[in-house]
Amino acid sequence: MFSLRLYQGLTPAILGVGLFLIMGAASLAALLRYSELSNWLGYLSQPYLWRVIRFSLWQALLSSGISILIAIPVASCLVHRRFFGRSFLLQLFSVSMVVPTIVAILGLVVVYGRTGWLSQLFGFQIPLYGLTGILLAHVFFNMPLAVRFLLQGYDLIPSGQWRQSSQLGFSRLSAFRLIEWHYVKKALPGAFVLIFMLCFSSFAVVLSLGGGPKSSTLEVAIYQALRFDFDLGKASFLALMQVAICTLFALFVYRIAPVNRQDVSLLSTERYILKDSFGAKASDLAAMLCVFLLVFPPFIAIFDPVFSATFFDTLLSSSLWKSVMVSLQIALPAAAVSLLLGICFGILARFCVGRKYLSFLPNKIEHLGNMILMVPGLVIATGLFLLLRDFGWGLQSSYWIVVWVNAVMALPFVLRALMPVLYQQERRFRNVYLSLGVRGWSRWCLEWTLIRQSVAQAFGYALLLSLGDMGVIALFGSQGLVSLPLYLFQLIGSYRLEEGACVAVVLITLCLVLFYLSSRLIGGQKNVKN
Amino acid sequence: MLKISLQYNWDNFHADYRVNISSGVTTLLGASGEGKSTLLHLLGGFLDGHGVLDFNSESLLALAPYERPISTLFQSDNLFPQLTVWQNVAIGISPSLSLNTEQKDKVSWALEKTQLVDKADRFPQALSGGQAQRVAIARVLVRNKPILLLDEPFSALDPSLREEMLYLVREVTEELSLTTLLVSHLPQEASLVGGNVLLIEQGKVVAHEPVSVLNQIPAHPLFVDYFGKSSQSL
Repeated sequence: MFSLRLYQGLTPAILGVGLFLIMGAASLAALLRYSELSNWLGYLSQPYLWRVIRFSLWQALLSSGISILIAIPVASCLVHRRFFGRSFLLQLFSVSMVVPTIVAILGLVVVYGRTGWLSQLFGFQIPLYGLTGILLAHVFFNMPLAVRFLLQGYDLIPSGQWRQSSQLGFSRLSAFRLIEWHYVKKALPGAFVLIFMLCFSSFAVVLSLGGGPKSSTLEVAIYQALRFDFDLGKASFLALMQVAICTLFALFVYRIAPVNRQDVSLLSTERYILKDSFGAKASDLAAMLCVFLLVFPPFIAIFDPVFSATFFDTLLSSSLWKSVMVSLQIALPAAAVSLLLGICFGILARFCVGRKYLSFLPNKIEHLGNMILMVPGLVIATGLFLLLRDFGWGLQSSYWIVVWVNAVMALPFVLRALMPVLYQQERRFRNVYLSLGVRGWSRWCLEWTLIRQSVAQAFGYALLLSLGDMGVIALFGSQGLVSLPLYLFQLIGSYRLEEGACVAVVLITLCLVLFYLSSRLIGGQKNVKN
Repeated sequence: MLKISLQYNWDNFHADYRVNISSGVTTLLGASGEGKSTLLHLLGGFLDGHGVLDFNSESLLALAPYERPISTLFQSDNLFPQLTVWQNVAIGISPSLSLNTEQKDKVSWALEKTQLVDKADRFPQALSGGQAQRVAIARVLVRNKPILLLDEPFSALDPSLREEMLYLVREVTEELSLTTLLVSHLPQEASLVGGNVLLIEQGKVVAHEPVSVLNQIPAHPLFVDYFGKSSQSL
């Protein structure tokens, strides 16, 4: 059934996706044009490069490994036990992804730093700057993420299996070995790859806690090549290395990953009681203690200096409010652009769902949006800068570059929030819409009440990510363009932790208020979540 | 003797089951939504009811599902897809799958009894619906619990296979002298397995008679409504 009118409606969506692709390709091309291929062999023989790569791999491997090792018992405990604070913990875990990196870093410095809580209370100090600090920060961010991945795996366990194991008298260990592990191990490769990549390309954490060239990652090396040496050739070479390693790693892990065996169960998940034992209690307690010690102190530490005098002084300083304005000027348009791009991707993908010759496309389109996770934001930003410079735009373009790069970096998260509900609408109502001739704008109006909640969530994620971004802004930040995270980064860098804490509180408050407003205004009154 | 006097409330559904069930097969009849499966879930300990639940003068009510002397065959999800047939049976003896020789022999015996010896190393996906439920019955055999609950486990099978399975249930019940409760929506099934029938309506036991009551012409007064309903729905 071919009809031109059907395709005409897609024009805006195709334009949006096209813009995304052209911008990406053009900036990479610009970057490559400025780099000398002949230099690349020279870079390969530099021991510095290999040290950076080795350290990047090593810390990423350790971070993702430790995160997952802790996450497994934690997830199992959260599934089997109901205790006071459990739902709060789950909420905390679900926001940990969007907590601005720099805020958490501040929390870690307050807890583990030279004059931190740990040294004040117990008189000993861990070497925060270097591998330890990087690992602490990465586990802080990614262990909750791993738990959420594993819990999704647990969701796939048919409740019939729990019912059986309840009647057969499984211990927690048997249940884990015979049931949970089979589902957990399917969730592991995905979690491992994602966390590995996030840690491998970690920027703000390594920049703040790396403490010198000894522990530098590729991403930081790119930043240094761009910001201090303005060596485009080196930067683009490092960027390509980064993309290549991430891709290889992903391919490798997915290759050895176990096959997904789909089970069907019509039963909804209920909770069935398993036999308890001392061992199970002890391991649950240990897991929760681990979470408690790792995740809570930095969160609390941020709010420590709220009652100090410096807090109010900082609150009144003009540079704070200037950076609030800058952050808003970046985050709001970036989130809007990201949402628009996401909708373009979504419309295109769902159009292809279930159409004979196009049905292979939806996955590809989604992957296209997610690919951005593998390309360092700094690299896109630099390419874009060079591109715009060719068109005669100088430094005044940096604001737009920051907005655009933030928008595309948030795209994977927007897509994840948006796609499921768009697909669902398409599958359920396509034929009704077709037969009634509801198209384009009128279709949006009809669907709005059903999808607005997901749209709000997508917008909220994009907003929070852009608000907390400490990547591109570090590269392009200048006198007039200091966002809240960058301001906080500068304060931590000069050990002005009390002022930093105040800025962190303002940043977090801003995040909460904006997230609440976006879910209220876009998502509708009744549907406010969190 | 299974002594039941259980109350259970859920939204607008107020169940109050009062009945004493002797050993042998008892078929639970009733239209859908009248509370047959609810009774089985209460007995299994998967729902919390209150009242009295005694088996041979011992109260089961406070026991966790795994402490009750009960094996259950559900409509689906009886087998763990990640375990082989042999493991799926063995797990009925030891949840940690560590069996001594005697216990291993018992598993082999159960597999033989259910004609599954050649399927021992297969995974459940490779089995037909009837074979899968036979594995579940093999597990019932090795568990050797005095009460067997069957929640329409054969409703997805075709008639001849269903008949075969029901004979197997009857045989197992007699051999191990179990107290078996079979939920069914087909009166013919009750006639095949024999024993008694319970009629359940709106969460209450309204009739408890020998199975021969189903063959009376004209229908037994308590069953008139049920037969009327089922013939209308056909």
